Amino acid sequence: MCDTCGCGLPGETVTFRKHGDVQHQSAEGHAHTHADGTTHTHTHEHAHERTHVHHDHDHERTLAVEQDILGENNLLAQRNRGYFEAKHVFSINLVSSPGSGKTTLLEKTLTEFGQTIPAAVIEGDQQTMNDANRVAATGAPVLQINTGNGCHLDAEMVHTAYQELNLKNDSLLFIENVGNLVCPALFDLGENKRVVIISVTEGTDKPAKYPTMFDGSDICIINKIDLLPYVDFDVAQCKEYALQVNHHLKFFEVSATTGAGMDTWYTWLREQLNQ
Amino acid sequence: MHEMSIAMSIVDIACKEAQRDGASSISAIELDVGKLAGVMVDSLEFCYAAVCKGTLAENSDLVIHELAGLGVCQQCQTEFEIDSFMALCPHCESYEVEIKQGRELKLRAVTVNE
Repeated sequence: MCDTCGCGLPGETVTFRKHGDVQHQSAEGHAHTHADGTTHTHTHEHAHERTHVHHDHDHERTLAVEQDILGENNLLAQRNRGYFEAKHVFSINLVSSPGSGKTTLLEKTLTEFGQTIPAAVIEGDQQTMNDANRVAATGAPVLQINTGNGCHLDAEMVHTAYQELNLKNDSLLFIENVGNLVCPALFDLGENKRVVIISVTEGTDKPAKYPTMFDGSDICIINKIDLLPYVDFDVAQCKEYALQVNHHLKFFEVSATTGAGMDTWYTWLREQLNQ
Repeated sequence: MHEMSIAMSIVDIACKEAQRDGASSISAIELDVGKLAGVMVDSLEFCYAAVCKGTLAENSDLVIHELAGLGVCQQCQTEFEIDSFMALCPHCESYEVEIKQGRELKLRAVTVNE
């Protein structure tokens, strides 16, 4: 793995697996084939030795492009969004640092809804089926995306994943992104709402330190509130920082482990599905 | 870290444009990058050089036009320059600010050779 940017070395492709499946690779593969047909293989060893060639200006011309660099992802995200809307699927993109409790929150939520509200899960991690196995134990259909060394999910991965899940009409779809508070911020997946989770074992100033993610989120869940007596975390100050970044944010204060505050989260989810 | 995927998208878009134009190679790619785009310019330049190898854009220059952030206070409608999402209105000291400019991440132009 490249220590500089986290990208995968050639041959390490994205995989999609259901609980109990043998491994298979994406047809698209996210192997990085460029428009001119060359396949992306790269090293960083000469990166600081970029040659600035002298261009022959007589034969040069400039083409105005004016294209959004993330346009292709955004287009596919809109396609996903349209699919969810048509099937009346309410989709949530769960983002956070590693270890903030995304999977536990999911397990509790899925258990609470049980058979009453159908819900499916797309799990994103660099490696392992661990989270998919935990989610599968609740009975919910789940697909694990292993990004290899990729640091975020993108709209194309989600598109491939939900086609395998056969989403039901009038259901919930939870997309648990790769635990990373930086990179997933830029990639729209087509979700209805982006939910950022911060746990009280992290720093109070996390919204100030990682503002892009808080700016792009709709909901902020403050998790592990049962640990507040033991840690130096100021909930009011954290919310203030988050609101300074994004004054539209709505908050839930919960402990997924003890269940404290989870009822308001469940109520909100039910309301979203009934809209 | 995501700068690698972004660099790949840039080179993909540029190569498609160059091919459509029948060009033999790309000598420069120009970007508009807003200050609040969530992209580290140094990291992007580093990844770009690597991604260009073996493509029409090999050895090309990356020209980045950085765009300042602009916010509009929702309380008093003052428009002011911002360099972070935590923007405080200089007039009424409200944090209720909508971002008008600074999130851009756009491929502006490609310079190609015949």
